[in-house]
Amino acid sequence: MKKYLLFLLFISFGFSQSKVTIQDKEVNISENEAIVEVLGMVCSMCAFGIGEGFSKTDFIDKTKFKDGVSVDIDAQYVQLGLLESSNVNPEKIVQVIEDAGYDVNSLFILQNNKLIKFSADKLGILQPMAYKDTSNDNHFQMN
Amino acid sequence: MLRIFLALIIFFSSISAHPVIFKNGKVFWITQNPNFNDIRFGISKTSDWLIGGRILEDRKSNETFALINNNFLAKRWNKSNSQANLYLLSSVGLNTDNSKGMSTLGIHADWENRQFMVMEMVEYFSHSSALVSNTRFAYSPYKVDYSRMSTWLIAQYRIEYKDEEYSYMFIPVVRFFKGNYLFELGSNGDDTFASFMTHF
Repeated sequence: MKKYLLFLLFISFGFSQSKVTIQDKEVNISENEAIVEVLGMVCSMCAFGIGEGFSKTDFIDKTKFKDGVSVDIDAQYVQLGLLESSNVNPEKIVQVIEDAGYDVNSLFILQNNKLIKFSADKLGILQPMAYKDTSNDNHFQMN
Repeated sequence: MLRIFLALIIFFSSISAHPVIFKNGKVFWITQNPNFNDIRFGISKTSDWLIGGRILEDRKSNETFALINNNFLAKRWNKSNSQANLYLLSSVGLNTDNSKGMSTLGIHADWENRQFMVMEMVEYFSHSSALVSNTRFAYSPYKVDYSRMSTWLIAQYRIEYKDEEYSYMFIPVVRFFKGNYLFELGSNGDDTFASFMTHF
């Protein structure tokens, strides 16, 4: 009984995880993480530049992945560990990708049990498109 | 007007792999080909403009030049799994022996995905009045993630127009890169090509 209660406590407060789909690949995203689908990222030198860019920001949790950044060139995405208190501005993430010379197709941020998907609109401006509450699995379409 | 246009291009523009890199990224690059020994160091002030220094030695005339080079990314097309680029390239400086002025002016276009690459670069060298075209077709036999070494097989075709004569050269090149290091080696039996580049 005690173990059961501890398990319930764990899934209620301490564990928030979901899945997103990038280029037909399902990717796990956990609390305080972001996943960026990047256009044009075709080589390891591209990935190096992106890693260098994020290493100079103040919102990356360098204890996750490799210095806070994981790059999947096959599925063309970058996964970021975010500092718990950062409440990161999505524009800052986009700026780092653009400074590396690439474009963002979509961006997912999971913080405070809220998974938000951002996509570029017709003018190329990043907008929140969908929202999911990972604590109760409710989905909302925003645009 | 044409002179002003050319001067502007020279001011805002160099040569080969990715001539402009990520913002505040630095590049060190050394190349030896049948015509030149070329050493460069540059910094990308933005994601579309790199400025740097270059020591260029003409192996045929034994002249050495100290140059400032500018590379300008005129247009980039980022697509899912591919990228295409158009660059304006230039260098301007002096002959280290007699301080005579020298400049290069070029244009570079490329398209690549993770297995194929096409590149065309045309460059003019003022000291020899030579116009040089380099064309590359490249193929990578396997795809790797960025932690492993990537290999490319490159067919490089060079045409030089100088003194109203054309000369032609074909060199097969193999490229290796891993992380932020790139190394290329080529030979056609008569001529050799070698290049090393790193970003940091």
